[in-house]
Amino acid sequence: MSVTETLNEGLKRGYSLEIAAAAIADKVEAAIAQVAPQVKMPGFRPGKVPSNLIRKMHGEALRREALQEAINDAVNKLLSENGLRPATQPQIDIDGGLGEGEDLKISVSLEVLPDVPDADLDGITLERLTVEAGDADIESALERLAAQQKSFEDAPAKHKAKDGDLVVMDYVGTSDGVAFEGGTGEGMEIELGSGRLIPGFEDGLKGVKTGDKTTVKVTFPADYPAENLAGKDAEFAVTVTAVKTASTPVVDDSMATNLGLESLDQLKAILKDQVESELNGLTRTYLKRKLLDHLAASHSFEVPPSMVDAEFQQIWQQVEAEATDEDKAQMEAERGDYGRIAERRVRLGLLLSDIGQKNGVQVTQAEMNRLVAQEAARYRGQEREVQKYFAENAVAAAQLRAPLFEEKVVDFLLGKATITDRAVSRAELEAAIESEDETPLGAGVPHGAPGHVHGPDCNHDHDHKPAKKPAAKKAVKAEAEAEVVAEDAKPAKKPAAKKSAEPKAEGEAAPKKAAPKKKAAAE
Amino acid sequence: MAKQSETIDLKHYDVVVKPIITEKSTLVGEHNQLVFEVAKTASKPEIKAAIEALFSVKVTAVNTLIQKGKSKTWRGKPYRRNDVKKAIVTLADGQSIDVTTGI
Repeated sequence: MSVTETLNEGLKRGYSLEIAAAAIADKVEAAIAQVAPQVKMPGFRPGKVPSNLIRKMHGEALRREALQEAINDAVNKLLSENGLRPATQPQIDIDGGLGEGEDLKISVSLEVLPDVPDADLDGITLERLTVEAGDADIESALERLAAQQKSFEDAPAKHKAKDGDLVVMDYVGTSDGVAFEGGTGEGMEIELGSGRLIPGFEDGLKGVKTGDKTTVKVTFPADYPAENLAGKDAEFAVTVTAVKTASTPVVDDSMATNLGLESLDQLKAILKDQVESELNGLTRTYLKRKLLDHLAASHSFEVPPSMVDAEFQQIWQQVEAEATDEDKAQMEAERGDYGRIAERRVRLGLLLSDIGQKNGVQVTQAEMNRLVAQEAARYRGQEREVQKYFAENAVAAAQLRAPLFEEKVVDFLLGKATITDRAVSRAELEAAIESEDETPLGAGVPHGAPGHVHGPDCNHDHDHKPAKKPAAKKAVKAEAEAEVVAEDAKPAKKPAAKKSAEPKAEGEAAPKKAAPKKKAAAE
Repeated sequence: MAKQSETIDLKHYDVVVKPIITEKSTLVGEHNQLVFEVAKTASKPEIKAAIEALFSVKVTAVNTLIQKGKSKTWRGKPYRRNDVKKAIVTLADGQSIDVTTGI
C-alpha cells in the first residue's frame, strides 16, 4: 500500500492510496478458503467443492467483499498510522483499478477533529440566580388549576345567554333553501365567545333563552374548507334546549378532595414543589448558559466545517418547519446568525466531550438502563421492543446518552466553579434568561430592539457582553453576597436529574425555543 | 470457443447432452479425462468426433457406460426412470476443456 498526501489544509486532509493487486488476490484467496467448508453444490458433499469451482460460482461477490475489506483496512491503517481522528466518516472515492489483476487506486478525503486545547477549568466564577417560591406564585397556580376545573350549570329559564355561557342546541342549516351536508345537528354544546364556529354564528346566539327558537344568518368565510360552501350565505334554524352558566370552583378543601387529595394544604404543598422545581430549572438553565458562555468565550479553536454544516442543516430544518410564510424573508436575513449558532454548538460539544473524557466523566450502565427504562415507559405496551431497540442500535443509545453526558460534564464543571448565590425575583430571572447578554432592560432600551433576542439555551454569544455586568451589579447591591463552594452546588443538581428524566428537554429543546424568540424580535 | 469454424455439424450438438460435474468427475479430471452425458444412441466414434469438433481438442479415448434408471413407485404404480449414457473422454496430453463455461 502506498500513500500520498494530496491535501492538508486546516482540518481537511486528502490522501490517495494505491493497493497492490497481489494483496487483493490474497484476500480473495483467504475468503474462498473461508467459505469453502460451507458451500453446497449438487453433485458434491458439503464442503468438498473444489476451490476453482467456488471461484467460478461466487468469485465476483467474494472479490467485491475483498475489495471493500481492503479499502477499509487501508483507510483504518492510514488513520492509525497518521494519528488522525476523523470528525466524520471519511469520504472514499475509487479512482480505478477495479479489474482483476490491477492495482486499486482510491482517494480518501476527511476532516479531522481539532486538537481541543486543555480547558482551563479552574477559576470559573459564576453567579447563580435563585428565586424563592413565594405565596403569590402558589396562589396563581391554584387559580389556574381552579379555572381548569370550570363546570357548567343549568341557568334559570329567564337567563339570557352571554359570552362565556354554554348553549346546548339543535340546529338545521340551509343554504339557498337546501340543507347541506354537516349542517344539521342535535344537542351541540357551544361556549359563546370561544370562536369555534363560523364567524357570526355565536353572535347570533347571544341573548337566547332556554326553549327559544331562532334563525341565525351567517356567511361562510371565503376560505372555508368545504369548497361548495365557502363564501355562501346560510341560515340556521336553531332550537335552544338549554343555556348553562360557567362556575369556577372556590379554592378550598373540597376542591382538593375533588382532585383526590386530602386537604388544601396538601394541594398547596404539591403546587409548591412544582413551582420550586420549575424555578430550579430556570436557575439551572441560566447557570448552565453562563458556564457555556464562559467556555465559548475563553476557548477558540477551529471546528470541522462538515460538522458545523450538519448542525446548521438541523437547526435550519427546524426553523423552516416552524416558520410561516412571512417569516421566510426574515429567516434568510438571519441565516448567518444560525450559522454562528451552529458553529458555537459544535465547538461547545467538542469541548464538553473533551473535558468529560479528560476528567473521566462517564455515564454508567445503571444510568443508561434507567434512561432506557424511562424512554420505554413512554411507549406503553411496547417496553420490550424499545429496550431491545436501544440494546441493538448503538447510534440510538448514543443519542440517548449524549444529553445525560452533557449534564454530567456541566455538573462536573459547576462543581469546580466558584458560584455566587444571589436571590432575585422570578421576573428578573426570566428576563435574564430571555435577554441573555443584551443591554439591560432597565436602561430604557426597548426590549428586543437590537435585532436578535436570545432564547433559553439559544447557545450563541453576542458581542455586547460587557453590557451585562453593570446590570447584574445593580441588582446585587442590596443582597448579601455569599460565596458558595463545591458542596453547596448540590441543589442545582436536582433539576439536572429531573431534566435527564426527559432526555429531550435540554439539547433538543434549544432550537425550538430559540426560534419563537426570534419571531418575537422580528415583529 | 466452439464456433470458430462454420463447419460444425449440427448433429454434434445432439450427441453431447451436457457435462457431468460431480465430485467423482473432478476426480477423473486429474487423469485428463472428462465426463459427459451423451445421447443414448451415440457411439464412441460419434462421441469422439463431436467432442473434437465442439471443443477443438484432440481426444485419445472414449469409454462409455449406460447407467440404468432406477425403479420407482408412484401411487403404488411402479415405473422406471430413464437410462443415462455417460462418456468418459480422455484428452490428449496438455489439452483441456473448461466444462463449467458451456458451449
